[in-house]
Amino acid sequence: MWTDAYTYEMDAFWRVEKTAMVTWFKIAFRNLIKNKRRSFVTALAISLGYAAVNLFGGFTTYIYNGNREASIYLAFRGHLNVFKKGFLKEGQLDPRSYLLSAADIEAVEDICREIPETLLVTPQLNISGLISNGKVSTIFIGQGIVPSSIDVFLNRTTLINLVDIGRNALVDDKDYGVAVAYDLAHMLNLGVGSYAVAMSTTVDGQMNALDMEVFQLFEANSKQLNDKFMRVPFSFAQKLYDTKSADRLVILLNKAERTEFVRAQLERAFAQKGLKLDVKTWIEQSEWYRRVKEMFDVIFLFLFTIVFVIVVMSIINTMSVAVLERTREIGTLRALGLKRRGIMLLFAIESSLLGFGGTLFGIFLSFLGWWWIDFFRPTWTPPGVVTRIPLKIEFVPEFFGISFLILMALCILTSMIPARGAAHKNVVDALGHV
Amino acid sequence: MSRVTKDYRLGETVVHALKGIGLEIGVGEFVAVWGPSGSGKTTLMNLIGVIDEPTTGVLLFNGKETSRLSDDEKSELRNESIGFIFQQFSLIPVLSALENVMLPLQIKGIPSAEVKRRSIQRLEQVGLTEFLKHRPDKLSGGQQQRVAIARALIPSPYLIIADEPTANLDSETATKIIDLMRSLNRKEGTTFIFSTHDERLLGNVDRRIHLRDGRILES
Repeated sequence: MWTDAYTYEMDAFWRVEKTAMVTWFKIAFRNLIKNKRRSFVTALAISLGYAAVNLFGGFTTYIYNGNREASIYLAFRGHLNVFKKGFLKEGQLDPRSYLLSAADIEAVEDICREIPETLLVTPQLNISGLISNGKVSTIFIGQGIVPSSIDVFLNRTTLINLVDIGRNALVDDKDYGVAVAYDLAHMLNLGVGSYAVAMSTTVDGQMNALDMEVFQLFEANSKQLNDKFMRVPFSFAQKLYDTKSADRLVILLNKAERTEFVRAQLERAFAQKGLKLDVKTWIEQSEWYRRVKEMFDVIFLFLFTIVFVIVVMSIINTMSVAVLERTREIGTLRALGLKRRGIMLLFAIESSLLGFGGTLFGIFLSFLGWWWIDFFRPTWTPPGVVTRIPLKIEFVPEFFGISFLILMALCILTSMIPARGAAHKNVVDALGHV
Repeated sequence: MSRVTKDYRLGETVVHALKGIGLEIGVGEFVAVWGPSGSGKTTLMNLIGVIDEPTTGVLLFNGKETSRLSDDEKSELRNESIGFIFQQFSLIPVLSALENVMLPLQIKGIPSAEVKRRSIQRLEQVGLTEFLKHRPDKLSGGQQQRVAIARALIPSPYLIIADEPTANLDSETATKIIDLMRSLNRKEGTTFIFSTHDERLLGNVDRRIHLRDGRILES
């Protein structure tokens, strides 16, 4: 019964308010124009906050996209990695037991053939050991990768336009040809065409050494890796470790959004076939991405909180002054029969017009900032990256839409604080207000 | 109204603005409430206009006890049955004369075309046909009060409350305003109650209610 009565009352309210709405908008708009300077300052605060949120949101998206592409394509790790169950915990101690056998690899490749999202399935083997130029030795870590798979990764990322990673010089049929990171090459005085020796223990614990020729020098993805990283043909890595196995199968998909879906499909298939394999997504594998995202999410939250406070304070201040100045007008409207809800609606409209104007100007400021960066193309060196890269702000319509809705809701809700006070003011007191 | 009192608290002091007022006003009457400043005229007008509540006593409007009405019901009652004319004119400054007059019917939810038609008629009635689009600050005091009268008349209310409607006008304009109210009262049968402390305006009324110190001396 109560709900019926309430619904009827609200229906009646909106029926009445719809016909008066044009007048309420007129009153609200004209009052904003009447107090030009105050309205402009408040709208400016909203627009600057809105533009700051949009631009920073665009910047974080650029950072996230860059890190995602770096993890998936530039690190040649793909969207999903398949390991022998337990490899990530025990694999270093007992590599022989936790490497993927040729049968495992074949089984996974068969399963992936049935998954249309799969673009590439390729084995990889990480190695580590000592590298020597005959005079000096130092440690290295290496990624054993099938050379012909490299171009599949590189062709699918736009990051190669930003980062100078060089063209792929490794070839499948020359497994002695390796790529060496610049700082490591510098330490050993190696250049393209130089020879060196890689030493390591095999999976059985025997010492092994292989000659290699430097086919390529490159910047590693991070400063920390640049003095120890090599990219070697998969078969070179297998020979050095004296194995026919791989430590992981890297799966590249045609869409990053399908990662979790494909992972679930793979896990189901592995369970059905009794394969004891683990599947990890690129996010789980990239601690760097997770940390950077977490950090920027916190900064974004911090910024949004500041904008939130500025907008709330501006609106409360502006609407409180408006309520104070128009107390007599509120009394008149109440005497004429406007209900309390009507008074609140009136100020909510005024506040939402301010919010709308502010965000509209904010869109202009956002595009101005976006255009400025696109035009002048400033460069920067992100943490952990070796070279300067262009700073970009992604245009993310969702940010514009969501922050617009949040700011509008904030304007309306905030205006309710002074408006509620105005609506509940005694009519006689309001009429007598000077 | 019966045995109505109204007390105000001013800090620690309680002011007895009305002291046991008993009064009945019939349909179509043209009533002046007069008395010196502080006699309780405005308080009485506010109670009759259902924008204030008595401390004690009973106030009936068209047979309904106003103290039993919710705030929304009082708003509806004022919107449909009572028109207000204020001493300070109290027009909405950002609206034109026509838009000000349209307000009560828009609050009621009547379609705009009809509201506009009726509002123009009312403004013609008070002689402001040429000032439809003028904002209040472009109108003289007398013209503003005429707009306020048109606004009070627009919902065709039972009662119009005019609290010192001529206090801010010169005597010639004040007389014109009272004459206008009187002619509308005769023509439409609307009940008018206006307060004044100017005895010169009392010649043309049906009934005088003389207040002093919160009590009726003459009714």
